[in-house]
Amino acid sequence: MTACIALVAIGPSQHMLDVILLSFMWAGLALAWNIAGGYAGLISLGHAAFFGIGAYTSSILTAKAGVTPWIGMWVGAVAAAVIGAILTLICARLRGPFFILSTLAAAEVVRIGALNWTSVTGGAEGLMILPTPSAMNMVFGSKTTYAMLMLIYMVVTYVVTKAIEGSRYGYYLFAIRDDEEAASAAGVNPLLARTGAMCTSAFLTAIGGSLFAQYFLFLDPTNVISPELSFQFALIPALGGLGTAIGPVLGAFVITPLSELLRSYFGGGAAGLHLAIYGAVLIIVMLYFPSGISGALMRHLTWKGDSAR
Amino acid sequence: MVAMTTIGQLVFSGLLIGSIYALMSMGLTLIFGVLRVVNFAHGEFLMFAMYGAWAFVTYTGFNAYVACLAVVPAMLLYGALIHWIIIRPGLNKPHLVVVFATMGLSILMQNLALLVFSADLFDVPPLNAGRSITIGPFYAKLELLIGFGVTLLATAVIHVVLKSTYLGKAIRATVQDGEAAQLMGIPVPRIFLITFSAGSALVGLSACVMIPLFSVFPSVGLNFVLIAFVVVVLGGMGSLEGALLGGICIGVVQSLSGYYVAPAYGQMFFFILFLLVMVFRPAGLMGRRGEATLGMLD
Repeated sequence: MTACIALVAIGPSQHMLDVILLSFMWAGLALAWNIAGGYAGLISLGHAAFFGIGAYTSSILTAKAGVTPWIGMWVGAVAAAVIGAILTLICARLRGPFFILSTLAAAEVVRIGALNWTSVTGGAEGLMILPTPSAMNMVFGSKTTYAMLMLIYMVVTYVVTKAIEGSRYGYYLFAIRDDEEAASAAGVNPLLARTGAMCTSAFLTAIGGSLFAQYFLFLDPTNVISPELSFQFALIPALGGLGTAIGPVLGAFVITPLSELLRSYFGGGAAGLHLAIYGAVLIIVMLYFPSGISGALMRHLTWKGDSAR
Repeated sequence: MVAMTTIGQLVFSGLLIGSIYALMSMGLTLIFGVLRVVNFAHGEFLMFAMYGAWAFVTYTGFNAYVACLAVVPAMLLYGALIHWIIIRPGLNKPHLVVVFATMGLSILMQNLALLVFSADLFDVPPLNAGRSITIGPFYAKLELLIGFGVTLLATAVIHVVLKSTYLGKAIRATVQDGEAAQLMGIPVPRIFLITFSAGSALVGLSACVMIPLFSVFPSVGLNFVLIAFVVVVLGGMGSLEGALLGGICIGVVQSLSGYYVAPAYGQMFFFILFLLVMVFRPAGLMGRRGEATLGMLD
C-alpha cells in the first residue's frame, strides 16, 4: 500500500506512470471479478458487460444530461449490479461450463445491443468524452491524478474483498463454492449468497469501467464489451491465485508490466509475440501451479509472502 | 406467393449454412460429451486448420476438398499433441484448470497466427466462378451444398462408428460411467486421446468445407466458437444429432432475422435463444435431462 503511493510519488516517467496506473486498474478489476469467480465460484466470462455498462452509463449521462461522472458512475454501478443479479437468478440452476457459457452469451447480447443502439451509444463509431480538464467532469490534465484515482479504486476493491473474506458472509460463500448441498443443509441460502457476490462484483467492475472511460476518454463496444476483455478479467485472478485477496493484485502487477514491457521490447516488428508469450505462460502456470502465483509463493516462501504485503 | 418463395429461399439458405455450423461444432460436442471439458481453443483449432487448407489450396492449386486429405490428418496429430501436453495433465485437476489452460492456448494460437500471417484476410477462389446453382425453385452456392453433404456424411459415419464398432461401444461406456468402464478393461485414457484427436480432425474437416466460404484471419476463431457454443448448448452438449439440429436452427434463425430485422441483430437473436434454452431447458433440445445442473464441478 505505502509502496504503491511511493511508486506514484517518486515521479516516474510518463510511460512508467501509464504502466503503474494500468496495473492499479487491472488489479482493481481482477479483485472485483474474483469476488464472484474466486470466492463464490461463479466463473463469469461476461464481466465485460458490467464494465461496459459502467463505462457507457457515466459517459452517456455526462454527454446527454450533463450529469457529472462522479454521480454517473454510481448509477452505472447500480445498473450493473441489477443486471448481475438478474443474470445470477436466471442461471441459478446452471453449473460449470453451462454457467460460464451463459455469461459469455449474456455479454454478447449487451455488446451487440450497444453496437446497434446507435442513437445512444454512438454504435461502432464510439463515444468521445470532452478532453477539457476539469475536476467536475473527472477529466484531469496529469496522469498522477489518474494514478491516485486508480490506486483508490484498487484499495477500495481490496478492502471490500478482505471484508468479505473475514466475514460470516465470506464463509457462507466458501461453503457454497466447495459443497453446495452441505452448505444449504447447514442453513445457508446459496441463491441469495451467490446473487450478493455477483452484485458486489458487477458493481465494482462497473465503477472500474467508468474510471476507464474517464481515463481513455473514448469508448466503443468492441473495446469495452469484448469477450477478450471478459477473458482478461478472469485470467488475471486465475494467474495470481483464485479466491485470495492478494492473488489478483499479484496477477495484475505481473501481467500488466510484463505485457507492456514485451510489447515495447518487440515493438511493431513482431505484433502478437507478447500475447503469444502471455498465452504460453498462462498454460504453464495453470497446469503446474493451479493455485496461481500467490499459491506458489505461499508454498515456497511463506515468510516472504507475508512481508511482501 | 412471392413472400412464400422468399421465406422458402431464406429457410433453405439457413439450412445449408446451419449444417456447416453443425459440422464445425461436432468436434466440440464430441469432446465435451466424452471428456467433460470445454475446449476454449476450439475456434483457434478451426483457425489453424483454415490456414492449413488455405495454404494447401494456394500452393498446390487443388481445390479445398482435396486439402482435407492433408488437413484432417494434420489436425488429428495436432489434437493428440495438445491432448498430451495440456488436456491430459489438466484432467485430474479442478475443472477450471482446463478452462483457463485452453483459454491460454487460444491466446497463444491466435497470436502465433498473427505473427506468421499478419492480420490480413486470406481466401481461396470460389468454385463454379462464384455463380449460384438452381435446385427447383431455390438458389444455392455450390460450396454450401457440398458442405451440407459433407455434414450429413460425417454425422452418419460418426453415428455408425459410435453405435456399431467396438471403439464406439468403448466410447459410449466411458461416457456412461468412466470408472466402471476402466474396471471392465477399457483403456479410458486412450479413449480420451482418441476422442480428442478425432474431435480435432473433425475441426480440420470443417475448415476445408469452410475455407471456400469464409476468409481466414487470426481472430476468426472467436466468431465461430461463439456460434459453436450456442449450437452445442442448444442441441444438448455431447449430442451429435443435437448439434446437427442446433446448427440448422441457428442457421435458419440467422438467415430469417438477417432478412426481416437487420443482419446486425441476427447474432443477438441466437444469443438470446441460447439464454432462453439455458433457462427453460438447460439440457438442450436433445441432451439428457439434468445434464447442465448435475455435478459438473469436479
